[in-house]
Order: sequence, then structure tokens, then C-alpha cells
Amino acid sequence: MLRSRPRIVFAAGLLLLLALTSLLAPLVAGHDPITTDPDHALLGPGPGHWFGTDELGRDLFARVLWGGRVSLPVAFVAVGVGLLVGGVTGLVAGYRGRATDLLLMRVIDAILAFPALILAVAIVSALGPDLRNAMIAIGVVQVPVYARLTRAQVLQIKGLDFVAAARALGASPLRLVARHMLPNLLNPLIVQVSLSAAFAILAEATLSFLGLGAQPPTPDWGSMINDGSRFLSNGDWWLAIAPGLAICLAVFGFNWLGDALRDALDPRLRG
Amino acid sequence: MRRVVVAVVLCLFAGACGGGTGGTANSGEGTPKSGGTLTYAQESELRTLDPVASTQLVERTVFYQMYESLVTIDDKLNIKPGLATAWTTSSDGLTVTFTLRKSVKFHDGTDFDAAAAKSNFDRIASAAVSPRKSELASLASTEVKDPQTLVMHLKKPDATLLAQLVDRAGMMLSPAAVQKAGANLGLAPVGAGTGPFMFVEWKRDDHLTLKKNPSYWGKPAYLDQITYKPIVNDDARATGLKTGDFDMIRVAAGKDIAGLKADSNLTFKDVPSLAFGGIELYHGGGAFADKAKAQAVALALDRAQVLKNVFFDVGVVAHGPIPPGSWAFDASEKIYDKADAAKAKSTATGFSFTLKVTNNPDSIQEGQLIKDQLAKAGITANIQTEEFGAILTDTEGGKFEAALVGWSGRIDPDGNMYSWFHTGGGNNQGAYSNPQVDKLLEDARTTSDQAKRKQLYDQAQSLLVQDAAYVFINHPVAMQASRATLHGYVLYPDNMPRLATVWKS
Amino acid sequence: MLSYLGRRLALMVPVAFLVSVAVFLLVHLTPGDPAAIILGEEGSPDTIAALHRELGLDQPLPTQYGIWLSRVVRGDLGRSLRTHQPVTEAITERLPATMELGLAALVWSLAVAIPLGALAALRRGSVLDLLASSFTVAGVSVPNFFIGILLILVMGLLLRLFPVGGFTPLAVDPLQNLRHLLLPALTLGTAGAAINMRFTRSSMIEVLSQDYIRTARAKGAPWLRVVRSHALKNALIPVVTIVGIQVGSIIEGALVTETVFSWPGVGKLAVDGIFGRDYPVIQGIVLSAALSYMLANLLVDLAYAYLDPRITYS
Repeated sequence: MLRSRPRIVFAAGLLLLLALTSLLAPLVAGHDPITTDPDHALLGPGPGHWFGTDELGRDLFARVLWGGRVSLPVAFVAVGVGLLVGGVTGLVAGYRGRATDLLLMRVIDAILAFPALILAVAIVSALGPDLRNAMIAIGVVQVPVYARLTRAQVLQIKGLDFVAAARALGASPLRLVARHMLPNLLNPLIVQVSLSAAFAILAEATLSFLGLGAQPPTPDWGSMINDGSRFLSNGDWWLAIAPGLAICLAVFGFNWLGDALRDALDPRLRG
Repeated sequence: MRRVVVAVVLCLFAGACGGGTGGTANSGEGTPKSGGTLTYAQESELRTLDPVASTQLVERTVFYQMYESLVTIDDKLNIKPGLATAWTTSSDGLTVTFTLRKSVKFHDGTDFDAAAAKSNFDRIASAAVSPRKSELASLASTEVKDPQTLVMHLKKPDATLLAQLVDRAGMMLSPAAVQKAGANLGLAPVGAGTGPFMFVEWKRDDHLTLKKNPSYWGKPAYLDQITYKPIVNDDARATGLKTGDFDMIRVAAGKDIAGLKADSNLTFKDVPSLAFGGIELYHGGGAFADKAKAQAVALALDRAQVLKNVFFDVGVVAHGPIPPGSWAFDASEKIYDKADAAKAKSTATGFSFTLKVTNNPDSIQEGQLIKDQLAKAGITANIQTEEFGAILTDTEGGKFEAALVGWSGRIDPDGNMYSWFHTGGGNNQGAYSNPQVDKLLEDARTTSDQAKRKQLYDQAQSLLVQDAAYVFINHPVAMQASRATLHGYVLYPDNMPRLATVWKS
Repeated sequence: MLSYLGRRLALMVPVAFLVSVAVFLLVHLTPGDPAAIILGEEGSPDTIAALHRELGLDQPLPTQYGIWLSRVVRGDLGRSLRTHQPVTEAITERLPATMELGLAALVWSLAVAIPLGALAALRRGSVLDLLASSFTVAGVSVPNFFIGILLILVMGLLLRLFPVGGFTPLAVDPLQNLRHLLLPALTLGTAGAAINMRFTRSSMIEVLSQDYIRTARAKGAPWLRVVRSHALKNALIPVVTIVGIQVGSIIEGALVTETVFSWPGVGKLAVDGIFGRDYPVIQGIVLSAALSYMLANLLVDLAYAYLDPRITYS
């Protein structure tokens, strides 16, 4: 418990820094990430361009910062979708029970039957490669974990005496259940959201790397790595490395935070 | 298939205009040695080995070693005898009589004769679907006069016929082998060709092997074996060549050319090719139904900058569909030489359109550069990336305003003009129509007088360029990079390798 | 045990059905016309329509699904639209390459994870433990295609130690095969190494605190023997199950890793299929991946139930 609090602080600080720089990108970037400048293409990192320039002369530092404005919100929306849809599904399944529960849980199982990335790739391929569909795909992949979380909670509470009592009195215990569920749900939920965000950023980067996410000229970390990797053999390493490090930082931050939160909030899970 | 367009639009071109036409066989490199295997890295995997069904450029690179046509070309694009030693055309131009080469055997041992030749043309005619049909649109029927004489009856005079017969439309396969292979012909054409190399095996996405034909009717090849490997990734191909995993490649990204040229273990050659690249415009509706807007785009584009940034100065700027390597090239055609944003603005400005771009890095880069260049003239281009196949579908249906699509080019200048710019032409998805151009192109088909044809093509080209029927940007170059241990390679402007003369030291 | 197996199998049937419908629908919603792609430069409205008829793409969707399903249960996954090769054959041709890669990745991840994880558990709180813990988080935080790119940059291009792509079959030239295998295996296995290390460490810590371990130590048994004969075996039970679950992440990781390194496995076939709008290939691979993953999970659950009867399943 003691060891985890500084970690929480550091991790949260890192993420806050990333979020702020992305948010303030228009002010902090120093260059326009989209306008081309062919005469200054493929310059290495230096005083004028901290991360160098890409093949169209665009400043890489600006593109990385602006990329955060794409990659980070996408991850959050995806997690939000998963949380909402999954949470409601789990609530309904657990509360209604029997046939509804059986059916809904089979659908959840069907989603879990696919390795997560494969399903995301299949969904985005089907709906058309763009950011919105990437968000949907990653959201769908997140649904099961939240469904199971909420369902487990509902089942646990449903069996408690005061719920049976409320039912006996003719009241609908749904609100009661929900109200009692929430405090117990909060801790594991916070941990899970942080870890989900990490996964979502990774998934979005992978989808964009495969050309299934952000479309050019939108700066996006994953597609920037894809774009930049073909210049590695020329020795122009910064194009692929800079966005990659950004992804690593963001994902690491969320994983670290999630881990620290889990250690702090859920003593049963401590290892 | 997108690799064709990619190869065309991206192709590396050796900048030094001194590339000249054709590379001559390396003399003074020692005596040719027999033996060895050549590993050839292709930019995509093939779909079929049957010339009747073939649609891809990479398939032709294999065909030219295995199969032979009635006629062939030299490195200056002059038509030369192939499996036909001589031909005469009747005075009305409707009958062409071919004298066929004697003592030629197919790889399966059967004889090549007029009956075998006819069977190939019959196969094209009876195929349900085949791109060869439109290539031989003027052919009415073929007739076997005697085992060594084949007569072609044409519907109308066609000056482009011989050029068409150089490629797949004229390739001769053994009827016995075709029948034996049946539905498997496209995958395993065992014994079907007459060429200096014969088919051994094809393991899709892995390798395709040919071996030397010891009973070739002409000068036998030096190499024992050719292995083709599909390596889609530009980097992997270039790196593999540098490390010696591959012996030869035909396509490399512009950014890699300098490195390949500088490597002392490699030989780099290039030659102006027959291709053109640029923006296809739809004139039947949308923004470019208005000619002024098309001309504005053509004026505002800075072609030299595109060539420098996207293609690393490999290739040359294109001013029309006829490339410098062709006899019909008009060096005086230079209306849109320098970007002129001011003139563009005064012609038409303040409009926007969608530009469809293939979903690969170089096309995307080119699209974005174009977008920024047009912005300086007050024109907004909205880039839409699509899978190459999707772009083809959209352009077929006229569902586009502009698309970054090029053409790999054909030997005869007609191949770069008629189907693209004649009203209703097979490649004229832009719905461009100019009756004057139509007449000029039609006339150019019916006469065999090259000087006269050039005049007609000069006029036609001048008109369609002025109309901004298509916005020409660059002419790719045919290139080849190989290990320095390979000799005897002659580079043809049609970008096709002919490996019978190659030997390994 | 048997009734548990029976129940699991019964539940799997409707799920498998849902999966098949989902796969079919997903791929058919994909925009882009495969006929246009096949015909490429030389396609025209007529040839494209003819190809549609030939490929059965003009039938209504439910009919296409029915036809597809009846073939699938017989093991016929159709033919690739691009190469005409039967999809089942295409997959089985490439399966050895992917399995070789997956196996190598697994070996590397375990070879690193188990000793380091065990060591970290033994030396809790030390610098080694701190480093190991950081690695467990970092290892899952780096996108695996980025690891691939870093390895290509350093090992392949800067140091020129290893080839950056390509493949030589094991049967043809084992040495070349291994040279080509190293970088992709490292790439694919790193995330798994991190996960395995964490689990080894945590389950080792739990086991080490058990009474019977303390008893053995109190009796004077040396650490190494205690670890080897008692702690490790029991600590490995959850690791075994985690490894089973990693089949899924190896399938996922193979997609990108094989693409980055041009490794001719099933993953690369899938990515090529996606970009070529090759419906049968995409359908076949996604379906196979889902079914294998379901099977792997089932086996893992059974193994877990078998190994540790204390676990009860509701």
C-alpha cells in the first residue's frame, strides 16, 4: 500500500503531462503539422525541428503532439463505449437472469471467442477504415470485460437479504441494486478503465499501423510509424521512432497507473 | 494489381537524362559462363500463368522467358521476327500473312505450326472473358494455309496489330499442353511454351521456378534456373538485393535509388519507359465538366517539385501521354511546363474536388503534395484514400472527380492514346470527348506510314493536353538493379526483363 | 469432470454459430469490389459483371451464407479470390511457418520469464526485482510492431547481424531459417515474456510463503532444492494456464509481426487478404482463429480443472 502511492502519483503525473501537451498542441507545437514543406523534407532532429521533419517536410514534433489529440481521445471513447455497453449488458443480464442472462452471456462469449485484435481488425475492415470505426471496433472488444464485471456484482448483490426484502414489499429493487452496486464496483472499475485505456491506445496504434485507422493526412501515432518505417533503410530513423516512443509512454503510463491502483485499492489482488 | 499503378507512378527513374534509350549488352565483361540460378524479386504475386487471362504486369515478367510471340521487339522498340519469320499485308490492309519459323518445338515436345498458332487465337476468341479480346478487336478470323503459313483476316486495317502481337495476345502455347493442363493451366502450364526457359513449379506467395530449355530453337540461355519471389515490401526488396538474397529487382522506391546506385556490389540501369502518371479527371460531371477548372489544375501543379519530393528526381516530367522513349514523342509539347499559380487563379479558382488516391505511402505522399500546391491557387483538393481495386470500380462507374491513376504504357503510341482519349475508349473513364481528337486517332490507326502517324499523334496530343483531358505529371523510368555478378542484361523501354542473354560470373 | 466437459461443449455450439454468422457478415459488409481488384487495370463493366456471376457474388446474402456454411462444415473454406487456391490449403501451407514462429516466441518468453520471475520472487525488494517489475509493465506497453521496427533498426540495419525479412524453410536450410526466425520471434515473444514473468513472480511469491515451504526451510533444506522440488512446480500451475491463454495473443501478434518481417505465415496471409478484399481468405482465417482460440481456452480450462481440483466452476 505504501509503495503504491508514489507510483500512482508518478503515473498520473506522466499521463497528465501527455494529456496537457496534446491539449495545448496548437500553442506548444511551434509548427503546423499538416502543411507540407517539400524543400525541408527528411531533416534530422536539430534546433529548428526537435524531432526532425518527415518526407513532406512537416515538423515531426508538432505531428507527434497533434497525434496525441487523435490517439488519446479515440482510446477514451472506445473505453467509454465498452464501459457503457458492457456495463449495461452485464447489469441487465445479471438482474433479469435466466433466458436473458443465458442469451446475453452467449453473445459475450462469442465476442470473447475471437482474439481481441483479430475481431477489431475484422470489424474495421467491414465498416471501412477510419477512426470512427476503429473506435467502435475497439469498444466492442472491450464490452465483455465490463459486462462480466457488472454482472458479477449484480449477482452478488441480488442474493442479499435486503434485496429479497424489498422485493417482498413489492418495490422494484433495481435502483437499490444499482445504488449498492456502484461503490463496490468503483474500485475494480477504476483499475479496469486504466488498463483498458492502455489496451485501447495499443489497439488503435496497431489498427492505424495496418492502415485501418486514421487516414492521412491526419497525424496519428500508429500510421506515422507505418509511414516512417519505410525510411529506416535510408537511415532516417526519427520518423518511426518518435511516434513509437509517444505510444510507449502513453500505454506505459496507463498500465503503470492501473497496476498501482490495483495494488492500492484491491488488497486481494496484490501479488 | 495495384502494383502496376504503383510501379508506374512510383517507378524509379534515373534522373540523369543521359539514361538514353536502352542499355547495350555489356561488352568487355569477359566470356559468358553457363550455369547458376537467378533470384528475381517481384513487387507482387502473380495471379495466373495463362496469357489469355493475364491482367498483371508481374505476370508478363515471367511470360517473356517461357512463352514466345509471333513477333518481338528490339531494345529500340522496332518490331522484329519472333516465331513468325516474315509477314506481308495485303494492299487493302485486311489480310496479314505470316510465315512461321520451322523446326520449333514446344517444351512438351510437340511441334509449333500454323495449326498450333491458330488454336491460340481460337482460345482467345472462345474465352468468356479476356483482356486479349479488345487488344485483337480488329481480328475477324485466322486461317491455316499450310503448316508454315498463318493467315489473319481483319475487320478493318489496323496499324497496331503487330505491336499487340508482341505481348500476350500473340503468345503461342502448345495446344496439347493446354488441353492436358485443363483448368490448372493458370497454375501449372507444364510444357506449354517455346521460350528459352521452361516451367518447373509455382508455390504461391513463396517462389516460382523456371529452368533452362536445353532444346531451344535459338541461342540457348546461360542460366540454369530462374526463381521468382514475390516481395511486396519495397524496403525488403531493396535490402534483399543489397544483402545478396536476391539477384535482380525491377522496382524500387524513389528513396532507395541513390543507395542502390552507390552500392559497388550492384549494377543499376534505367531507361525511359512507356508509362505515364498523373491525375485522371472526370469530365462527364462534377467539378471538371468545366474545362476551365481542369486547365486551372493543370496550370497550378508544380510537376518538378512532385518529381523531386515523391520520386527523388527519378524519371522525367510528363507533358503528354507519349513518353520520350517512343518514336512519336513530341519534344516541343510543353504547355504546362512551370507551375503558374497566377494564371491558374485567373482561369478558374475557388472550387474544390475529391482526389482519390491509392492506399499506399507514395501515392498518399504525392496526393498531399498536390493538395498543398493547388491550395496556392485557391483550389481545394480533398484527398480520399482507397484500395486500388476500389478506385478502379469507382472510376469505371464515373463515380469520381479526380483520381491519381496512371498507365503502364504500350509499345505502340496508339496504346497510350486511343483507349484513354478516344470517345468511349476502354480506358477513357474520364469521359473525355473531342471529335477532332477522335478522327486523328482513328486515322493514325489505318496508315502504316510512321511519319504520317507521328504528325497525327502530335496534333492529337496537342489538343488533348490543351483541353486538360488528363493532368500529366511524370514519366516513370524502366529500371533494373542487379548484383554486379550478373552480366548481359539489356534493358527494354517496355520494362520487361529478357533473361536469355544474362549470365552469372 | 465429464459433465463439466459436456456442459462446456453444449454452450460452445450456439457461440460457434454466432461466431460464424458474425464472420460472414463482417466480411461481406467490407467495401470494395473483389472482382474489380482481380481484373485490375484491364477490368471493364462487362468483365466485372461476368466475374461476379462466376464467383457467386450476385446472390442474396442469406443464400451466400447458407452455401458458405454448408461448405465450411465439410472443411471447404472456399477459394482465394486472388490466387484461386483453396483457402484451407493456403492456411495449412502457411500454418507451419506461423507455428514455428509462435513456438519460438513462446520458448523465448518462457526461457526468459521463468528464471527471471523466479529470481525476482526470491530476491524480493532488490534491484533485480525492481527491474523485473518494470519490465513486466514495459513489456506489455510497447506495441509489438514497434519492437519489431526497433529490432530491424538496431540488429538488421545498424549492426547488420540479422536479415530483416524473408524466410527459408526449415527443411531446406536450418541455419538460414533460424537467422530469419530470431528477430520476429523476439518481437512476438516480448509481450508474453512480460506477462509470464509477472505471473511466475507473483505465484512464486505466494507459494514461497506457504507453510510447507517454511517447514522445509526450517528443517534446513537448501533454497535451491526447496525451489526446485516444491516451489517451482506449484508456482507453475497458473503459468501453464496463462501460457494457454497466450495462444490468443500469439495469434494476434502474428498478424502484425509477420507483416513487419515478411514472414510467410497465416498472419501475413490475413493482412494480404484484408487489403486485397479477398473475402474467402479473410473469412477462413478469422473463423479458424476464433475456433482455435475457443478450443485452446477449453483445453486450458480443462487443464486447470484437472490440475487444481480445489477450483470449482459454477
